[in-house]
Amino acid sequence: MTVHTEAPVSATIADLESDGLLGTFPQGRRLVGTVCDHCGQSMIGTRIVCSRCVGREVSRVALPTTGTLYSFTRLHVGGEGVRVIGYVDLDGDVRTLADLREGGTPLRPDTRVELGVEGDDWFFAAAAGE
Amino acid sequence: MTDSAFAVSAAMIPFGKHRSSSYVGLAVSPLIDALRTAGVQKSDVDAVYVGHSYGGMMTGQRITKEIGLGTVPTVNVDNACSSGATAIHEAYTAIAQGLIDVAVVIGVEKLTQFGGGTLPLSPEDREVKQGIVMPAVYAMRATRYLYETDATVEDLALVSVKARRHGALNPFAQFRQEVTVEQVLAARPVADPLTLLMCCPTGDGAAVVVLASERARNRLGSPRGMRVAASVLHSGQVEEGFRDMTKPEISYQSARDAYAQAGIGPDDLDMIELHDAFSIAELVYYDAFGLTEKQSAVSLLREGRTTFGGDVVVNPSGGLLAKGHPVGASGVAQVAEAFWQLSGQAGARQIEDARWAMTHVTGGGTAGLDHGACTIHIFEAA
Ligand SMILES: [Zn+2]
Repeated sequence: MTVHTEAPVSATIADLESDGLLGTFPQGRRLVGTVCDHCGQSMIGTRIVCSRCVGREVSRVALPTTGTLYSFTRLHVGGEGVRVIGYVDLDGDVRTLADLREGGTPLRPDTRVELGVEGDDWFFAAAAGE
Repeated sequence: MTDSAFAVSAAMIPFGKHRSSSYVGLAVSPLIDALRTAGVQKSDVDAVYVGHSYGGMMTGQRITKEIGLGTVPTVNVDNACSSGATAIHEAYTAIAQGLIDVAVVIGVEKLTQFGGGTLPLSPEDREVKQGIVMPAVYAMRATRYLYETDATVEDLALVSVKARRHGALNPFAQFRQEVTVEQVLAARPVADPLTLLMCCPTGDGAAVVVLASERARNRLGSPRGMRVAASVLHSGQVEEGFRDMTKPEISYQSARDAYAQAGIGPDDLDMIELHDAFSIAELVYYDAFGLTEKQSAVSLLREGRTTFGGDVVVNPSGGLLAKGHPVGASGVAQVAEAFWQLSGQAGARQIEDARWAMTHVTGGGTAGLDHGACTIHIFEAA
């Protein structure tokens, strides 16, 4: 006797609805991250699946506001004026591309940085007191 | 057990801004020339593989129909900067598995269609939405590399100087004027520390290589060419956290596998065509390819060990920096350079008695990955 099963209907993912990385949390405005409920992997942005264990149970979290600048560049093309961008390794090992604000001391890799928010803009700058 | 595969001909147009040529106009002449010099008739061709990233639908068929080369499978391949080399890899794989005897590989790209600026990346990518562009990726690599090693910005310029000196000897190169370290450093800044002369140019190009099985090669009576000793394709692996941008895992792994497949090591190579899209890349890849066991990357460069007369000639064609980088064409153009070098047809830039060649392209621009695709080939004169 043939056993009939029903093929699963895979669902679409509305990933275009969550464009920005800045979100509002009880502790204030923070970068949005996702943590896997199963294996604990942290990821930047709104995700619906864990890239390590492929778990679908994931939670939206506020990412740490501090981290270490991995590298950066002053970009002279692709827009008006000069834009400073870099990769920030947030505490908890999540890397994000970020706009950077340069203060009095020149930026260098391995500088401790912290999140700043102005309106809908966010950036990282050298951490105060570090 | 796999069958041996050989390159039996190569042809290309000089890379440059060919504004009045379409994808078809770029590719048809080298297609005809490659078939002719291989002694291959249309009826001999078992399959066509076409690497491109921005050609649109049916780029390959639009080209091949112009010479009435149809019926057989035509496979269009997009892997960004690795598109052309991925097409070579697919052709090689089909021959090695004994499925086909003669494959035509076309790499073609027309970047002047975008009117200038940086390479268009997928607008769906998270970091592209944030404004990442390829020069920024390589610039961040460079910033970190200069921070961690004793390399200086003058070394980054020296890579461009070497590339231009090689390109000056190559009639297929987009740039054939030499430059000085001072000129490179004084050029317009693109993404600090990279200046315009440390970045590959925008251009158009097409290159074609014919691959054949051993029995087809014997039947064709091909005089000289090269055997495919290794053909490796790797994809990037996502990292959500820390990634060492100075040690791109995708190129390390591809090189390791290619050496194992070919049964040789870095000391055996006479030439390498590597993915110098920006000058920093060349130094990073010296490490990735195991050239730096005895000497650091900058000391290899400064002492001239990677130019003509050195241990291994890196980018004898001028590389992406001088020859140009029409994305999908580059991987096939590198193989054409290897073919000419290993068969003694490289003219003023001929490497004496060249026997072993490596080619390397890697395509990037995706958040979380170092690069999306990396292709390495090793060839032996045959
Ligand atoms: Zn997980």
